[in-house]
Amino acid sequence: MEIPTETQPEVEILNKLMKKALVSFVLAGVAFALYRSFALMPAYQGLNLGLSNYIIESGLKDTGSLNLITAVLYDYRAFDSLGESTVIFGAVSGIVLILSRKMLPVSSKGLSFIVKRTLGIMTPFIALFGLYIMSHGHLTPGGGFQGGVILAAISIIFSIVYGSAFDYRRYSPQTKTALETGGALTFLGLGLAGILMEGAFLQNLGFLTAETGTLISAGSIPYINIGVGFKVGAGLAIIFYSMIQKTFEEDF
Amino acid sequence: MAVLEIILVIFLVFSALMAVRFDEELISIIFLSIFSLILTALYLLHKAADVALAEAVIGAGLNTAIFMSAISQIRHGDSD
Repeated sequence: MEIPTETQPEVEILNKLMKKALVSFVLAGVAFALYRSFALMPAYQGLNLGLSNYIIESGLKDTGSLNLITAVLYDYRAFDSLGESTVIFGAVSGIVLILSRKMLPVSSKGLSFIVKRTLGIMTPFIALFGLYIMSHGHLTPGGGFQGGVILAAISIIFSIVYGSAFDYRRYSPQTKTALETGGALTFLGLGLAGILMEGAFLQNLGFLTAETGTLISAGSIPYINIGVGFKVGAGLAIIFYSMIQKTFEEDF
Repeated sequence: MAVLEIILVIFLVFSALMAVRFDEELISIIFLSIFSLILTALYLLHKAADVALAEAVIGAGLNTAIFMSAISQIRHGDSD
């Protein structure tokens, strides 16, 4: 059977025309859809401040959280935060699927002795700061996401300063995966507890509310924060780790 | 406060332009990190502490590290 090695010039021109026609058809369709949805929008009538005024007035009473941003993120719009963490989970899964290798990565010996000792003193305080940001999300600025990224930064510091094998031995990928899954399950479990006890998914658990301003108050918000923090931190550490894994494969 | 804000915005635009202008990836990454740092200060001036914290941690910290590791992989491939 003969396989044509070269397409005919007429066929090529026709192909190009077909492609152009298809692209313009799709673009026209998208433009039409955009026009229809923009035509539905009402004219600008000034900012509608009803919802934000409501949250500012009764957010503290509804949720018990002093930080209204956390109140919105993990109480009023907790379902959106669940979607966000699902996006991060998908990203981590994809990157690990593409980049991960089953081998012990050994990088250089790390940086000099002075840097190692200095970071050895500083790292516990960085971890403490991350945990503080995570657990005090309902009282001070911050929350699960920011604290989790600070925890991921510790893993990055270990990889850079002590060499990537150190991080592998201390916190193996299995530990990180368990932390990430545990955080996600905490979030989902609190959501399901909301169904059982309060009647709606991710509803704030009333029986956990204590005096406003104390650490264990604001219902389920601190627990969701801690879950999201460990999930995000472990996920981002896994991403960085699988990127660095490939880098040093030849440096044995 | 207004003067400080104007100075910060000027440096913000400057660092963004520098990040685009240089061909060397390392310099671009450093300028992106500076961009994030200035943006953090601006957010803090506008009293958005949560966003400032997220920007400082993700923009200046994590992004730089991930970009660096990506760049080192590219260099590694080139030298072979």
